[in-house]
This record gives sequence, C-alpha cells and structure tokens, in this order.
Amino acid sequence: MTEDTFRLMGRTISFRAGESIAAALQAVGVLTYGPDALGNETRCFCGIGACQCCLVRVDGVVREACITLARPGMSVEPMERRNA
Amino acid sequence: MRDPDILVIGGGPAGMSAALEAARSGLAVELVEQRESLGGAIYRQPIEGVQVIPQSAGARGRWAALSQAFSKAAIPVRFGSVFLGVDGHGYVLVENRQNGLVECLSPRAVVLATGAVEHVHPRPGWQFAGVSTAGGLQVMMKETGTAPRGSVLLAGSGPLLIAVAAQMARLGNPPLAIVESGDPYRRIMPGLSMLGFPKLLAEALGYLKDIHLHRIPWLRGSRLVRIERQGERFSAVVRAGDGSQSTFVCDRIGLHDGIRPNDYGLPQASSEAAAGPVILRAGDCREALGAIAAEADGRRAGRLAIQGVAASAADDIGKIDRQRRAQALLARLFAPVDDRSALDELADDTLLCRCEGKTVGDLRNLCQRVDSLTGREVKHNGRFAMGACQGRFCAANTAALMARFKPEAPASSAADLTGRRWPVRPVSIGALVRAASRDNDTQ
Ligand SMILES: Cc1cc2nc3c(=O)[nH]c(=O)nc-3n(C[C@H](O)[C@H](O)[C@H](O)COP(=O)(O)OP(=O)(O)OC[C@H]3O[C@@H](n4cnc5c(N)ncnc54)[C@H](O)[C@@H]3O)c2cc1C
Ligand code: FES
Repeated sequence: MTEDTFRLMGRTISFRAGESIAAALQAVGVLTYGPDALGNETRCFCGIGACQCCLVRVDGVVREACITLARPGMSVEPMERRNA
Repeated sequence: MRDPDILVIGGGPAGMSAALEAARSGLAVELVEQRESLGGAIYRQPIEGVQVIPQSAGARGRWAALSQAFSKAAIPVRFGSVFLGVDGHGYVLVENRQNGLVECLSPRAVVLATGAVEHVHPRPGWQFAGVSTAGGLQVMMKETGTAPRGSVLLAGSGPLLIAVAAQMARLGNPPLAIVESGDPYRRIMPGLSMLGFPKLLAEALGYLKDIHLHRIPWLRGSRLVRIERQGERFSAVVRAGDGSQSTFVCDRIGLHDGIRPNDYGLPQASSEAAAGPVILRAGDCREALGAIAAEADGRRAGRLAIQGVAASAADDIGKIDRQRRAQALLARLFAPVDDRSALDELADDTLLCRCEGKTVGDLRNLCQRVDSLTGREVKHNGRFAMGACQGRFCAANTAALMARFKPEAPASSAADLTGRRWPVRPVSIGALVRAASRDNDTQ
C-alpha cells in the first residue's frame, strides 16, 4: 500500500492511494474542514457528492471532499478563511 | 474525439447496465462518472489493499457479473466528470474535473442514472460535524475498510440501519445502538409477506444475526429527538414508545430516514426533444427501488435509448414490479410506531435548510402570512432549497412542514420548491464561460 501526504491548513496528512480527501481526514480524526460562508461547520454528511456540506478549496478550486481523490502535495483549505 | 451516440450519466448498477445494453447495438456509448471508480452507492469499491466489506452473497454475485461484462464491453468511461445539465441548444454539459473544462457534447440520447439520496428528517443538532447520514458512514466503510471510530449511534428508520450496524460489527466497532422509529416485529402481515422475497429476507436475517451476536440494542419504536454538543462528544436524546427518554453519549451519529430519487435539477425525460437529445432516466433516480431494480431498469433504458421508442422488455419490467412490491412491504414493515410525525414538535430554532441556515421558525413565519405562499415563493422569499445542495436535503421536509403550518393552502411538492434548473451541481463561472465560447465557435 502506498502512503503519501497532502496539506490541510498547514498540517501534513498522510493518505492511501485511491482514498478521497474526506476518508483520509476521517482516518486522522478530522471531521470538520472549517466553516462555510454562513459559519456552519463543513463536514462529510452524505458521502456521495449530493449535499455539498463537505466543500473545501483544493489548490484554490472548490471541491467536494467526499468525491475528490487525495493527491500527493495538494493543498486543502477551508471555504472561508476568516476563522481559520 | 467524436461525440458518443449515447451518453450515460452515473456509474452505478443502473448506468452500467444501461451502457452495456446500449453498446450491444454497436452504437458509440460513453459513461460519465463523477468519481474515479465505478459501482455507485451499493457497490462502492474499496481502495487498493483494503479488504472488501463482507456483502451478501447475492450482492457479491451481481457485482461480479456486472463488472466483468462491463470491462469486457470496453465502454469508455469519463471518470472525474460531473454532468451539469442540458442547455437551451440541447448540448449536454459535463465538467471535466481533470482539466477544469466544461465539455459540450451532442449525443443522440442521454440516460440519466444518478442514483438516490437518503432522506433525513431535521432534528435539533443534525447539522453538527460528526453527524452524517448512515449511508454516508457506510460508503466510507466500503471505501476504507474501516468502521467509523469511537462510539457511534445509528438512528432513523429502515433496513439500511441494520445493514450498517452489522457491517460496523464485522469491522470490529459495533454501534452503541440502533434507534428505529418503526417496529417490524409488530407488523405481522408485511413480515409474513416478506417470505415471498427470500433473497431480501435472507440478507436481512444475516444482518440481524450479527446484531444479535454483538448484542447491539435495536431500539424499535424509538426516536432520536435531539442532539447536543457535550465537549468533543454528543449527547443524543432518545424517546421510547412509552414516552420515557434516555441519553446516549457518543462520538458519531448516523441518520437515515429512507431513500428517494436524486432527481434534483435533472432535465425532464423526453422521447423526442424539439432540440437536443432524447432523455431517459434509469435506476434509483427514476424510482428508488434498490440495486436489483436499478440494474433491470438500466437495461430497459439502454434498450429504449437505442430504439428511441418503447421497447418490449417484459422480464425487466417484471423484475422492477417485483422490487416495487418488496419496497412497499418494507415501508409497511418499518412504518413508525408513533403516529405523530417526526416533524411535529420541532423547536423553532431547528435547522431545516443547512445550506442557507434557515430554521423551522423562519418557515413558520413565512407560512403565517395572510396570503399563502407557493413552494416557489417560499424558495424565493425564504431561501429554502436555494442553496448549494439544490434542496436535496431540505425540499421534501420543507414541503411537508408547509402543509402542517398551513393545511388549508394548496399542497406544495419538493419539486415546486426546487424547480428544474441546471447546473445540477455548482460549477465555476470561469469554466462555463470557456465552454460557452467554444460553443459559439462551433456554431
Ligand atoms: C449512501 C447510500 C448507500 C446505499 N447503500 C446501499 C446498500 O448497502 N445496499 C443496497 O441495497 N442499497 C443501498 N443504497 C441504495 C442504492 O441507491 C441502490 O441500491 C443502488 O446503488 C442504486 O443504483 P443506481 O445505479 O440507480 O444508483 P447509484 O448506485 O447511486 O449510482 C449513481 C452514480 O451516479 C454518479 N453521479 C451522481 N450524480 C452525478 C453527476 N451529476 N455527474 C456524474 N456522476 C454522477 C454517482 O457518483 C454514482 O456512481 C444506498 C444508497 C445510498 C444513497
Ligand atoms: S458529504 Fe455530501 S457532498 Fe460530500
């Protein structure tokens, strides 16, 4: 099994090849990815790309953490930076 | 690349069988899937090196046959691609997330097979991080081969809850309890009728055996009424049938109140579009009847897509009818014991629409106006079902609550609130503008 890492708000997160961002974060106990525009906690809810509760910025582009593959070296940031 | 004759959206059992069936005709077929792997919700594939979650023998066999036939047919799949909608000119818009471009395709037929979404009733605290749908916890288990950590409470209603509980137990972390608003043991008639569906029954009994072995409390006739934060954990208040309340302290909560078609924002099915492709729906996004029906329905739609007219597919229709009877039985079996609706007694500050932060009280205020608002007006004035999820998780609840708050007004449906608009999913303006300029170039 290959292990690699990406960055979440400056923190290094390891993941296994083929894993979604949400799965990699759950494995290290991260269940929220910062606040959204309304100040709600983002989180993995439906797991299938439908609810849009898990939105993050992946290298600047808004993506669902539950259906986006983790890739080596990517940077994952919360939707809103103000409280981060 | 030449545009395909038939474009299938969604790589679950319905989409895969539709593509297979359509490809037999020799026409060029392509499949669009937002993820990087096929399988859909039920056959979500594990990452490399991870044990496949033990599924029932029937499900294993169905996946083996379907996936082998699919790879043999060598149908091209656009992975990491999200279907956005069909524009006014009849172009099918697909966001290719690998290169960030929106592609405009003009197939002769489109089969939409976007699956189901879980229904979740609003409960105070359902919006907290750490609260997921039960199916969401399940697909994550299938992907990673690990159960969610800590103590987990499952709540809501239906057979999916016992499946998730059994799978968690098999992976070494049985849930604290399953809170079930129905009580299948008390529903004798539908219970006996399930004997007519031996495969479904065997699957359910397999799950119940694990639940028994691991002594997981199955709290039938009970409801999770409130979730509160308690430091890093949750305290979950459960009300039993006799009105007594108990509190569970837990780390994660999985909610599930049933399943419904993921048809939000999809273009209407059409046999002969004035401009643009024939549009068909297949599987759970047409009618949520589960995996067996989805595969049969995919074949039906695949055949229709080639012919463009009603095809005779008696054996598939028979399969779908049978699964419809099974689902109706299951609904009776798991009918809530408590006559009061889960929507009664919700405190005004309960979040109803998470994307826009709108509460039960906000809706009550809107409904107290003298003139009755339509679903569409509640959306435009109140922002319900206006947000990024397109009402997938609040529109049905909002419509049901509107009927409670103002029973004398004409009833609104979830579709009245959501309307029919593309894009099906949010997309960046930049990507759309680039697609539009290419569209103009080709005209
Ligand atoms: C979370 C969840 C878990 C479930 N677990 C089970 C289970 O364990 N057992 C069971 O019997 N049933 C389960 N179901 C019910 C399930 O809906 C059916 O059994 C079966 O998966 C339906 O097949 P389908 O092909 O219609 O849809 P799905 O299998 O849901 O396939 C739909 C596919 O379309 C893709 N898609 C959706 N929207 C787009 C878009 N805009 N662009 C591109 N691709 C898109 C999705 O990624 C998915 O791969 C579950 C449902 C859900 C929602
Ligand atoms: S968890 Fe629902 S879209 Fe990702």
